[in-house]
Amino acid sequence: MTDQGRYMGVHGLRVRIERCVSRGLTRVTAQALGPYQTAIVRIGFGAAWFFFLLREWPHRQELYGPDSPWSWGLAERLIETNDAFSVLMWSSSDNWFQLVYVVALAAAAAVLLGWHTRAATVLFMVGVLSLQNRSVFMGDGGDNVIHLMSMYLVFTRCAQVWSLDARRAARALRRREAAADHPEELRAAQPGTDAETSAGERSVGERSVGASSVGASSNGELSNGDLPAGEVAGAAARAGGSTGDEAGPRPAGAASGSGPAPGAGARPAGTDAGVGGVVLWTVFGAVLLGSTVAGGFTVGWALFYWGLWAVHGMWWSVQRAAARGGAAVRELRDVCDILANLVHNGVLLVIMIEVCLVYSTAGWFKIQGTRWQDGTAVYYPMNLDYFTPWPDLSHLLAANGVMVFLVTYGTVATQVAFPFTLLNRRAKNVLLAFMIAEHVSIAVLLGLPFFSLAMIAADAVFLPTVFLMWLGRSTAALGGRAGGLLPGRGRRVPLPEPEPAAEVPKVSV
Amino acid sequence: MEPAAHQAPGGEGMRGIAALSLPARIFVAIAVAVVTVGIAFHVAMVFLQTAPENTISKRHGELVDSYVYPEFERNWKLFAPNPLQQNVAVHARATVAKDGSTETTGWVDLSAMDGAAIHGNPAPSHTQQNELRRAWEFYVDNHDEKGKPVGLRGALSEQYIKRIVMLRFGPELNGGSVERIQVRSAVTPVAPPDWSDERTEVKTRYTVQPWWHVTSADLPGGGK
Repeated sequence: MTDQGRYMGVHGLRVRIERCVSRGLTRVTAQALGPYQTAIVRIGFGAAWFFFLLREWPHRQELYGPDSPWSWGLAERLIETNDAFSVLMWSSSDNWFQLVYVVALAAAAAVLLGWHTRAATVLFMVGVLSLQNRSVFMGDGGDNVIHLMSMYLVFTRCAQVWSLDARRAARALRRREAAADHPEELRAAQPGTDAETSAGERSVGERSVGASSVGASSNGELSNGDLPAGEVAGAAARAGGSTGDEAGPRPAGAASGSGPAPGAGARPAGTDAGVGGVVLWTVFGAVLLGSTVAGGFTVGWALFYWGLWAVHGMWWSVQRAAARGGAAVRELRDVCDILANLVHNGVLLVIMIEVCLVYSTAGWFKIQGTRWQDGTAVYYPMNLDYFTPWPDLSHLLAANGVMVFLVTYGTVATQVAFPFTLLNRRAKNVLLAFMIAEHVSIAVLLGLPFFSLAMIAADAVFLPTVFLMWLGRSTAALGGRAGGLLPGRGRRVPLPEPEPAAEVPKVSV
Repeated sequence: MEPAAHQAPGGEGMRGIAALSLPARIFVAIAVAVVTVGIAFHVAMVFLQTAPENTISKRHGELVDSYVYPEFERNWKLFAPNPLQQNVAVHARATVAKDGSTETTGWVDLSAMDGAAIHGNPAPSHTQQNELRRAWEFYVDNHDEKGKPVGLRGALSEQYIKRIVMLRFGPELNGGSVERIQVRSAVTPVAPPDWSDERTEVKTRYTVQPWWHVTSADLPGGGK
């Protein structure tokens, strides 16, 4: 009896552990977690770097140009000793520098908007590393965070929501569904995609071809990004008669694109990109080939870039093949999807740990400082000439001893405590709000807007999904209202909201 | 929260590893192991680089450095352990050749010019906020107390400072061509707050560096 009971206990424990492990495995393989969190991180860092480069446009030569005080020759001698990666070291010509700067700016914009994101994040990283490593002594903490995050973003599926990729995928899906339901209507509305649409109607397998061409046509609409929204809404309304699940025979191959929920609909967005994606991929291949032949990469970097390039190409062709192929190739597609989720989730974890490390080490180091102990630390930066754009304001705030004390102690306590508050959702959110507020005041008081923006973008990985979705809705509503105010534009339907929260995978926030 | 994990969004149903064939599952298992180990390793390295020197980082310092540098470095402790409590300004002067004779200019406070550019500026440029400030830190870190450069970085930092000064002076100054320049740092402690009973003497300390000859490599256009 007791033996049996013990056996049952052990057995029960084993079952529980097994269930736990399998649940965990399913969780990290079946989906890319934190779609809203990774999207806000992408947008935050894309914006920080984009607006920084824009702000420094008049100073770009002095910062990173061949004739900067930190000259090309000085950079070359330093980089010889540390092997930092910078395409700016490939040539000391001014034209090359200008090109790299403009491309870095464009890549930041693409990341911000989520346009061909998987490719754009790579280019973004190249831009960040190239410019920052070219002139390391021009940077500050903000540059350092952007540097780290630009590398992490490459490995994430950060365009599942709030991106042009997601919109393109959702639109392609609607077209597919509309095609299945009302082929004539759609054909009439979209003569350009006529052939593909009817192909989609004809055979399940080729429907992804139709989707590709829709994707391609939406590339051209980049500049007036929100114009086709009404049209999409219209298409959606036309397709509205049917629920998603009944929309005819679903192409089994488009599994990852099945369902308008953000988690699934936009998943393959970066690669399901049709002609635009193919063109980008080909161009990148040519550039890679040229620079490898010219000896631009160390072995490690060459492997890294070629590896990414091969993976992107493979994912695209596997998806295509899976759309019409048999069970084996569909399984291959599923395995690839699982790997991408796995890497995304792993790197998301790294990002979170990195943010915790930033704060906890900052806190631990501060605790050892006498000024943080005696409660005067915050007074000093407000009296440094390099960090007082508004001296009167700074001096006014620094004049109150009790307040300086409170902020000083509050800062240390927050930073040290932050990683542990992740165990409690409410405590975490309170501290998060406090830290974001602190960074906003640093932006103004110390004249460090880009540093602060980068830090807030990093903090945002911990924002609760509910809040982020509310933010998304408010922004969309605001955008819709602003759009209505533009001359020559009537009231138009705001961007269709991504599907409900119930299915949004959550990070443990 | 749980159903979300079991049911992929979009009514797709379970699409997890359970549905895969055995070889595919083995492959995924290996991938999970590789990713897990990779992440653990990466996090450990980054942690050891940031943490104070300790038993483990002493033993594996080389591995940590070779992994973390140059791309994964975390290098800012702006306000820790103590915030900077002094204003560090860099001054420069020059000897200029004019009509066969030379004369020495007065000291120019380059940092004050940065400060003026930062005043009332909601988004100061890195050229104003970081360039000279960080160059001087770089210089001081790589020079000994007598102002002798240490190693390659010492030499690089010296030329960097010269080029910054010459960018701001220009090749012509006071109607003559600049032949030599000299820099000094002016370090002024921040006065203790009014509300504290601390007394610090607020006095500027100057550290004067040797005269440097200006060559064409120090001028804008001579950097390649």
